[in-house]
Amino acid sequence: MRIKATNMTGIEARFQIDWPGFTLDVDLQLPSRGVTALFGHSGSGKTTLLRCISGLESTTKGRLVVDGDVWQDDKHRIPTHKRPIGYVFQEVNLFNHLSVINNLRYGMQRNGKTQQVSLDQAIMLLGIDHLLDRKPDHLSGGERQRVGIARALAVSPRLLLMDEPLAALDLKRKQEILPYLERLHDELDIPVIYVSHSPDEVARLADQLVVMNEGKVQATGCLADMFARLDLPFLVGENASIVLDAIVGELDKDWHMVRVDFDGGSLWIMDHGLPVGHRVRVGILARDVSLAEQPGVSSIQNILRGQIDAIADDRHPGLMLVRVKVGKTLFLARLTKRAATSLAVVQGQKVWLQVKSVALLQYNLS
Amino acid sequence: MNMLSDGDLQALWLTVRLATIVTMILLIIGTPIAWWLARTKTWWKGPASAVVALPLVLPPSVLGFYLLVVMGPNGPVGQLTQTLGIGLLPFTFWGLVIASVFYSLPFMVQPLKTAFEAVGDRPLEVAATLRASPLDAFFTVAVPLAAPGFLTASILTFAHTVGEFGVILMIGGNLPGITRVASVQIYDHVEALEYMQAHRLSAVMLIFSFVVLLALYMWRPNANKSY
Amino acid sequence: MKLIQTILLFCTLILPLVVKAEKITIAAASDLKFAMDEIVTAFKQTHPYDEVDVVYGSSGKFHTQIQQGAPYDLYFSADIKYAQSLASAGLAVSDVKAYAFGRIVLWSASLDASKMTLDSLLDLTISRIAIANPRHAPYGMRAVEALKASGLWDKLEPKLVYGENIAHTAQFVQTGNAQIGIVALALAVNPELSSKGDYYLIPDTLHTPLEQGFIITKLAEGKPAVRQFANYMSSQPARAVMIHYGFVLPDEVAGN
Repeated sequence: MRIKATNMTGIEARFQIDWPGFTLDVDLQLPSRGVTALFGHSGSGKTTLLRCISGLESTTKGRLVVDGDVWQDDKHRIPTHKRPIGYVFQEVNLFNHLSVINNLRYGMQRNGKTQQVSLDQAIMLLGIDHLLDRKPDHLSGGERQRVGIARALAVSPRLLLMDEPLAALDLKRKQEILPYLERLHDELDIPVIYVSHSPDEVARLADQLVVMNEGKVQATGCLADMFARLDLPFLVGENASIVLDAIVGELDKDWHMVRVDFDGGSLWIMDHGLPVGHRVRVGILARDVSLAEQPGVSSIQNILRGQIDAIADDRHPGLMLVRVKVGKTLFLARLTKRAATSLAVVQGQKVWLQVKSVALLQYNLS
Repeated sequence: MNMLSDGDLQALWLTVRLATIVTMILLIIGTPIAWWLARTKTWWKGPASAVVALPLVLPPSVLGFYLLVVMGPNGPVGQLTQTLGIGLLPFTFWGLVIASVFYSLPFMVQPLKTAFEAVGDRPLEVAATLRASPLDAFFTVAVPLAAPGFLTASILTFAHTVGEFGVILMIGGNLPGITRVASVQIYDHVEALEYMQAHRLSAVMLIFSFVVLLALYMWRPNANKSY
Repeated sequence: MKLIQTILLFCTLILPLVVKAEKITIAAASDLKFAMDEIVTAFKQTHPYDEVDVVYGSSGKFHTQIQQGAPYDLYFSADIKYAQSLASAGLAVSDVKAYAFGRIVLWSASLDASKMTLDSLLDLTISRIAIANPRHAPYGMRAVEALKASGLWDKLEPKLVYGENIAHTAQFVQTGNAQIGIVALALAVNPELSSKGDYYLIPDTLHTPLEQGFIITKLAEGKPAVRQFANYMSSQPARAVMIHYGFVLPDEVAGN
């Protein structure tokens, strides 16, 4: 039985858990589209929150409404097997007694409703058509995880839940899987909630970010805003960076570079064969950005004009983070305190940004 | 060849029949008990496990004596069976079946419990996210994954029932074709100083037991790998 | 040091067993259960330093065990033939001594057996009759003989259930699982059973005499206390106990 709630789109999730040594207390409104990352340290409650949403955690009080359907409230609770979800677990959890194809069919056969994602589509998306007759223990770790993702997709979920699907894999396997996840993001119109403790993964995959700490939501918002925040201890530090979504504006075939445009400026990056008009996501480490009063002669190609928006201490006592607004886009620069003093940085000051390198985080050539 | 007398063959056939029926009954009642013990978190899991394991340590004579009293005309079970018009259970084949079900219970439940514990919660959670109801997941995931455990439990239960002696002697009444199983027949041979017959029947039991254990040790560990 | 301590500890554990002057172990047929307990108690009053252990069981089992070297000093068989068989195998250091004749009775815990005869067993309300296993229990063989002699065997055989030995047979009857049974008189007169029901003495003309005999086994060679106990069996107090428990003593039969 489904009860329609007033809020017709989006996910409304409110959960309280009080276990010995662990409490969860969240009250979230999430958009039911794109990829939402639940980000935090281990023990921050992100996996528990995901299990609450899936219904696997049965000992909770709370309320969960997905696009107007009440999945859980004080009076009733839809059991996991009746929720229209797909779930990808952190460790590989294929059924060892079934072949790959029968693993894929397991959920699909029980779904009963119209297939939003066909089995063939899932197989193609994850590139596993050559594995179908194998048994799971004859697959590599990366292959298993791809089958696991395809299996979750084959039930045509209205909501895909992924619990650190890459965490158990080594770097090479991660690189193998990430493109498939990006394809998912681009090609399927299924909202995803993605648990991760890796800023890299989040930067590449997420659209929205929920930062969790000690069972509570610390911050929530769109990815670019969240990465530009100075008060989130997971993001500041050695790898503090910003992400920004941009569009390919111009190709320079002679120098093998492309210009990408964002709201407030543009950057030159290495050409990866990206066509003009294509959407890309780039990441810029705070330590790769320096500030200057005048745009001097330098090897650095990307020089932008902006205004200092905020200043914060870094973890290291000799460093600080300076946030600079370029048009509507926020950049982070990490400086030594000595350099900052000699520049006499203050909020509102106009400065030149020198961007030493830009990482291409997400693109899709298909 | 007249290695075994008709009485011996009758006793062997009776033994096989008893062990088969007991194994089948225990598969039906032992599986839910093992499942519950493997997954429950209530505090009385401990006492319940102890009760199930009791026949492992209890002398067969104790179990046999209690069963004789409980199933006798003045015992609660005896009164029940008489009210139901079944009569009394001691000295009947079904009395032996019931006694053996108690006696072999841990041999079914322990391996199954271990197998279910090894399966763990996760495959069932996975099944739930794939639209399988708990019962569906039990039969399509837990049981196949615990298949080696089912094989072990069935073989152990069968073999243990075949090897049963004390309880049967206590409540069986030694009736040919009804309660005189092979182990009792061997005992009678020895008591009657019929050593030759005792030797022959004992050899059959020895070979049987060895083959059962051999099968158990040779087949089981590769059940998963040998695909 | 540790080794020496261990050896010393081991010695203290084992010494009492070694030093003990005399210990008698008796293997006795189950029908002697109550009578032998009393005789042993009486014997110990005059021989306080000797330790006497009695193991009760079926005569056939003891026979096999003694053949295989079981540590029994005395073997009291419910059927003298078993004792004779061991003696002829050279496993005895004494003659086979007949010590009693056993009698069989009908006994029940739920019916009044004293008002019954063997014919009463035909009663349709009696569905289970317990006897000792006739293949190896002497009392069971005599029960079968008595039933055959009275022409009841064919009708009663389907009702029979078999106890492993005579005490086990009595247990079937005591728990009510068999309404009635043919047991040893020696058991039926014991308060344990007699408080629950009376018995009917089956005429000894219906079966071959159940002559019982004992031997001193080879293992008891050079154990004076064992011989003392064997002699004590013929003493007046021991005979009184045997008679009390319904055993017929050999010289009394001659007197009859």
